[in-house]
Amino acid sequence: MSALELNNINFKYDEKIVLNDVSFIIPNNTFFVLLGLNGAGKSTVFGLITRLLTLQDGEVFINNHSIKNYQKALKSVGIVFQEPTLDLDLTVRQNLYYYGSLKGLSFNETLNSIKDEIINIGLEEKLDTITKELNGGHRRRVEILRALIAKRKLLLLDEPTVGLDVKSRFDILTYLRKLVETTDLSVLWITHLFDEVVSSDGIAIINNGSIIEDSEVSLLLKKYNKTSVDEVFQYLTKKEIK
Amino acid sequence: MMIYFNCAKGIIYKELLRFFKQKSRFFSALVRPLLWLLIFSVGFKSALGLAIIPPYETYITYETYIVPGLVGMILLFNGMQSSLMMIFDREMGSMKILLSSHINRNFLLFCKMLATAIVSTIQAITFLIIAYFYGIEMSLQGYILVIPVVLFSSLVLNAMALFLSSVIKQLENFATVMNFVIFPMFFLSSALYPLWKIKDSSIVIYTISSYNPFTYIVEFIRFTLYSKFDFTNFVIILLLIIFSLLLAFIGYSSKNIFKKSRK
Repeated sequence: MSALELNNINFKYDEKIVLNDVSFIIPNNTFFVLLGLNGAGKSTVFGLITRLLTLQDGEVFINNHSIKNYQKALKSVGIVFQEPTLDLDLTVRQNLYYYGSLKGLSFNETLNSIKDEIINIGLEEKLDTITKELNGGHRRRVEILRALIAKRKLLLLDEPTVGLDVKSRFDILTYLRKLVETTDLSVLWITHLFDEVVSSDGIAIINNGSIIEDSEVSLLLKKYNKTSVDEVFQYLTKKEIK
Repeated sequence: MMIYFNCAKGIIYKELLRFFKQKSRFFSALVRPLLWLLIFSVGFKSALGLAIIPPYETYITYETYIVPGLVGMILLFNGMQSSLMMIFDREMGSMKILLSSHINRNFLLFCKMLATAIVSTIQAITFLIIAYFYGIEMSLQGYILVIPVVLFSSLVLNAMALFLSSVIKQLENFATVMNFVIFPMFFLSSALYPLWKIKDSSIVIYTISSYNPFTYIVEFIRFTLYSKFDFTNFVIILLLIIFSLLLAFIGYSSKNIFKKSRK
């Protein structure tokens, strides 16, 4: 069974082709990276999976439910958007309550569903802090914690570390990889940052709206006889990465 | 069913929290109608003679006449402010949280409109209380009956505002909407002058005002404050809410939202 499956997705904005026959599968319990430069089509893929964009051609399945049946498909999905989406005037707890209610949970159910994660992610002291008083790293942690409400099976994160310092970035990555190891969670991590990929991850490389490779990172390195993902990327796209 | 209840509770909870935290929003919503009541109406009181027209059974002062219109003004401007916040939320990204929920999108949007309507109702009641102490008294029955009517009318205006927010691509365009939609909607209605008085001066403005949905909202509030039920108004408002909700839901469908976010 797969956590996420994209089959033959084509997508246009007006007449401009943005995605061209995009397909990849995220097996259960996998940390999977969708890697591509700016403008490659990553956020369009994200928009289609989260139903912010309407599918024009192809199919999306989440935990074996078609996205057309979004009430089942999106039920076990947690989402972290690229832009900050917390209400800065509310406390962390109030933000969590609000998001929990959008998942149909009562306030108590919301906190109970993430009681371990609140401690593990280091936010138990911050629950009653007004969100605007938190630094960027902590705000991102709140967004990730919020996405974990209601025992998610799939987390979708669109460039979640943009604007964060190196330590905050890798703290978040380490935390999520550990969650994938210890629970039944799968993660789709969308990024343009090559240093966020490790050899145990699954990966799909997107370039000009097409998936040019889809594999496990370690297998990809072996296949092209390269030592890093950026070398593989440069080899496949003939693009210089500065 | 519990899922929907929790969802509605959460959205209303958040709107009320924001409302009580942003005290300036509460006061600024009251200042506008109070300026009209306490200052504007003073000058007009002597200049404008009002005949006895339904629902009034006796001669009334100009201040008494404009109170329902000013309640409508609170609902109208609040609805538009909420629409402005929707555009802001959409531009900033927090709207995406709402729209990517697994719960039916139309239900979520309805809850958002209901939450704004509750906030508007609190403001409208506060205004009526101030007006009472200023000397504009209605019957207790009128005050009680007007609460659901204000809530319902606010829903209509919020749905219209929601539709507007779905067609406005950028926050900057909102000023245009203020000038070309909100102000004409308010001034070309029976909020400040009775329709017969407008008819005396201009048939064109009278005709436009008689087709303005806001006129029906103001008249519905006016009749209810005097414990009178106008069936025609009720039917028109019922049709208005169905039509405006439909427009708002279409405006926020995925197909339409993506067009806006990309341009």
